[in-house]
Amino acid sequence: MIELVRVSQKYTYKEVLKDVTFTAEKGQITCLLGLNGAGKSTILKTIMGLTPIHGGSIRIDGEEINQNTYERVSYIPDHLAIPASMKLSDALRFMEDFYSCWNKDRANELMRFFDLDLDERAGRLSKGTAAKFNLVLGLAQDSDYVIMDEPFAGIDLFNRERIAEVFSSELVGNRGVLLTTHEVKEVEYLIDKAVLLRDGVVARSFECEQVRSEESKSVVDVMKEVLLT
Amino acid sequence: MNKVNEWAGITFNSRDPVYAQVVRLFKEKIVTGVIQSGQTIPSRRELAALLKINPNTAQRAYKEMEDQRLIVTEGNSPSRITLELDVLRQIRAELLGTAVEAFVATIRNIDVPLDELLDVIQQKYTEAQAGKRQEPPEAPFESGEGGNNDD
Repeated sequence: MIELVRVSQKYTYKEVLKDVTFTAEKGQITCLLGLNGAGKSTILKTIMGLTPIHGGSIRIDGEEINQNTYERVSYIPDHLAIPASMKLSDALRFMEDFYSCWNKDRANELMRFFDLDLDERAGRLSKGTAAKFNLVLGLAQDSDYVIMDEPFAGIDLFNRERIAEVFSSELVGNRGVLLTTHEVKEVEYLIDKAVLLRDGVVARSFECEQVRSEESKSVVDVMKEVLLT
Repeated sequence: MNKVNEWAGITFNSRDPVYAQVVRLFKEKIVTGVIQSGQTIPSRRELAALLKINPNTAQRAYKEMEDQRLIVTEGNSPSRITLELDVLRQIRAELLGTAVEAFVATIRNIDVPLDELLDVIQQKYTEAQAGKRQEPPEAPFESGEGGNNDD
């Protein structure tokens, strides 16, 4: 379980995150939802230790984050961080050298799943293809948790559908997924749990099926209700 | 191949629990003969991928169908649609009942004697049956979506 307890972050005098508390369980898909600037990406970065926190704590399966926990969590940023001149095959080899938890078989399987060309160069990929390759790099690590920043942003319909399919597949399997998105409709049926953020505060977090059965509301309904009032 | 197309193009209502909609979908497919009793069904994860839903939701739907004795799972073999006639009859009655209830609810405010209503039903039903016979048996499972075919 990824657990954030009263996490806060300040940037000069501005409070970016205020008492953020939520959990993301293994075997579940948890989604951070909110408008631009609500603090979604910042939260993912705090979990990876990429940005400091000024209060609260972050634990992975009960352990405070440290260099060992990073092997258990893979992070897929919102852009492809591979040099433009690098071939995809070279990028995969690079990742294999870099990560002890790299799973070569799964990497190959993911390349086939997304129909990617090993001989292509990273800089020549379309936005949708780059997003898919970015997912390959993250999901091929044998981690317990995968966190993804805006995997659907700026991607066309067919590519979005293909990306959505990977969540239900064995390629994600029983890992815990934490993702951010502002394209709620894309994930409406895909996620177990939604955490709604507004101005760095968790406005509401809920189980999607529970809200549907108890309140007859969709995730979009709850988001409108919470964020527009 | 068929398995893939059979489940394509299904849309859900975002305001009702998805697991319950999956159970209902299975019931409809059984009653309309799209899936036969005794037939094996996709694994939980396969179904989640085919319907583009959360795997835990698919799991919950299967659990519910097991509880309702709609499907049976023995050991590690794939789940199958039940062979129990009682259960099958019950599903048919249930679907028919809810469909008629919905129909009654929509026409309740129209002032019409039952005899006249039954005549209209009979006429429309006969027309529908005649139309059905002329068309080829409703082009099974062809959907326009191309992105779904797992190799």
